[in-house]
Amino acid sequence: MEETKKIITRKEILKQFKKKTQFQEILTRFLRNRLAIVGIVMFAIILLIAIFAPLLADYQTEALGMNPSERLQGPSMAHWFGTDEMGRDVFARVVHGARTSLSIGFIATLFSLLIGGALGAIAGYVGGWLDEVIMRVMDVMLCLPEMLLAIAIVAAFGTSTTNMVIAIGISRVPRFARIVRSSVLTVRGMEYVEAARAIGANSFTIVTRHVLMNCLAPIIVQISLIFASAILAISSLSFLGLGIQPPAPEWGNMLATGRQYMRGNSHLVLAPGLAIFFSIFSLNLLGDGLRDALDPRLKQ
Amino acid sequence: MADEILKIKDLVIQYVSDGEVTEAVNGIDLELKEGQTLGLVGETGAGKTTTALSVLNLVPKPQGRVVSGEVFLDGENVLEKSEREMEAIRGNKVSMIFQDPMSSLNPVMTVGEQIAEVVRIHDNVDEKTAMARAREMLETVGIPGERAGEYPHQFSGGMKQRVLIAIALACSPKLLLADEPTTALDVTIQAQVLELMRGLKKKFNMAMVMITHDFGIVAEVCDEVSVMYAGRIVEHGNLQDIFDNKRHPYTEGLFNSLPDINNRKSSLKPIKGLMPDPTNLPSGCPFHPRCDYVCEKCSKEMPPKTWINDTHYVRCWLYENTTESRLTEGE
Repeated sequence: MEETKKIITRKEILKQFKKKTQFQEILTRFLRNRLAIVGIVMFAIILLIAIFAPLLADYQTEALGMNPSERLQGPSMAHWFGTDEMGRDVFARVVHGARTSLSIGFIATLFSLLIGGALGAIAGYVGGWLDEVIMRVMDVMLCLPEMLLAIAIVAAFGTSTTNMVIAIGISRVPRFARIVRSSVLTVRGMEYVEAARAIGANSFTIVTRHVLMNCLAPIIVQISLIFASAILAISSLSFLGLGIQPPAPEWGNMLATGRQYMRGNSHLVLAPGLAIFFSIFSLNLLGDGLRDALDPRLKQ
Repeated sequence: MADEILKIKDLVIQYVSDGEVTEAVNGIDLELKEGQTLGLVGETGAGKTTTALSVLNLVPKPQGRVVSGEVFLDGENVLEKSEREMEAIRGNKVSMIFQDPMSSLNPVMTVGEQIAEVVRIHDNVDEKTAMARAREMLETVGIPGERAGEYPHQFSGGMKQRVLIAIALACSPKLLLADEPTTALDVTIQAQVLELMRGLKKKFNMAMVMITHDFGIVAEVCDEVSVMYAGRIVEHGNLQDIFDNKRHPYTEGLFNSLPDINNRKSSLKPIKGLMPDPTNLPSGCPFHPRCDYVCEKCSKEMPPKTWINDTHYVRCWLYENTTESRLTEGE
């Protein structure tokens, strides 16, 4: 009796093992990576802070409202990160700056993903002269430093949030285009793509449903890394005065103004600087973790 | 002529890469009637798969090129059709089952979605109906319908091949091209899959081209056999013609390379030499360098079709003047 019972339970275990979906497998691999967990927790905290910023500090009164009598105070219970040269609460400004950075960074990343992804997919799938033309243009864009390209675009079209999104988005298009193209090239030759053609699927269906769905892993990793670089680019542009204009709180322009008071009041640069550092660091850890989790060759 | 589902006339296909011309298919003729099964037998590289792809007008471009010839599918020349017209035909009127079930399914889509996809492309139905049809097709090929939500990696090789068959048959095609459907499977599963295909062929009353290099499969499922060598059909006939009355030295060689079940101690007699390089085919009959009965004429001219009887022809100079052969009209 006991024998049969044992066999049944083993079968059940095997069944459970087999029923593990791909997503669960990726999740277990991801959770095994401690640094990746650190990254995702850090990023989640930053994201939550950005989402609930109005609950933590009021935008109009605390982030923008000046109070000269309390200017340049160090950290205290009333002002966690101290106050700046106009007496504004630095914590409130950092928290609201997170909203700007994350939302603009996300939109810029999405923008470059759509354009770069489409160009890469066309170049990889169609091939031939179209591939040559698209990829040579991408090569030319890669020759220019991303920051310089973004500065040039903003300088040419004027400083506004929309132009900044376009500038940062376009300067990162080649990165997406290259990674999507190379993934599409490997998937294009797969037999299931030929099989899809044999059942009468048209090129659009094949690319969107069959090819790109199998290229998702490197694209997801690239999204997290480009998101990080977009956040840095927003801050850099704002630091140079080409992005978000003061008095709106943004990490880059906070750094720029805080720079003058750095000797006596280091908290003015430390707070936004660390905010930039942690958001980019968390996204890079997340990206590394995702890459390891999504790459089946590292699977044990 | 109306019941002829597939007719290939003098088809020549070449692959060009780096200026080198690979002669994959060199003038083959095929005819297949509704509901019949044709076996296409030959070694790797004989042009079997290329022939099948040409029926779908899917010869890889730009390397592959149909130099001449016509492929009539149900009376229409597919080689003259536009890509859009072909998309409506592929998977609908004619389907193909590929060699390797492991890589022919998309790993990130559930099998149900993949069967439903072909239904939605051709039948203009909503997602729900398509999924219901997918489940129905899974049941038809002997897989429980509730497994439609699972991914290909959760299936075994034999079951994947069943899924591919389900995809191929979902729109009840008139012609099924099966490209070595059982080569990647082990023998017991092979038998199951063949049995399934035979049953379904009868049920859907479709014609089938079975590409294989296994005469056992031919004997089991086919009505007619074409033996291909270096892009040419060297012998064609019904089962009886080929199995009991084989004429071409190459067909004979193929049978000699099979183990003899009655005399298991006898050593195999492989065909000497290797397949010719398709970029540099021998002159005349491409088989002559390997042939035991080679004569002077063989290296000079390609032999024409010599009809042994109404169903059986062979391309070999050996039978040029044999009394039983009658050169048919038109050759």
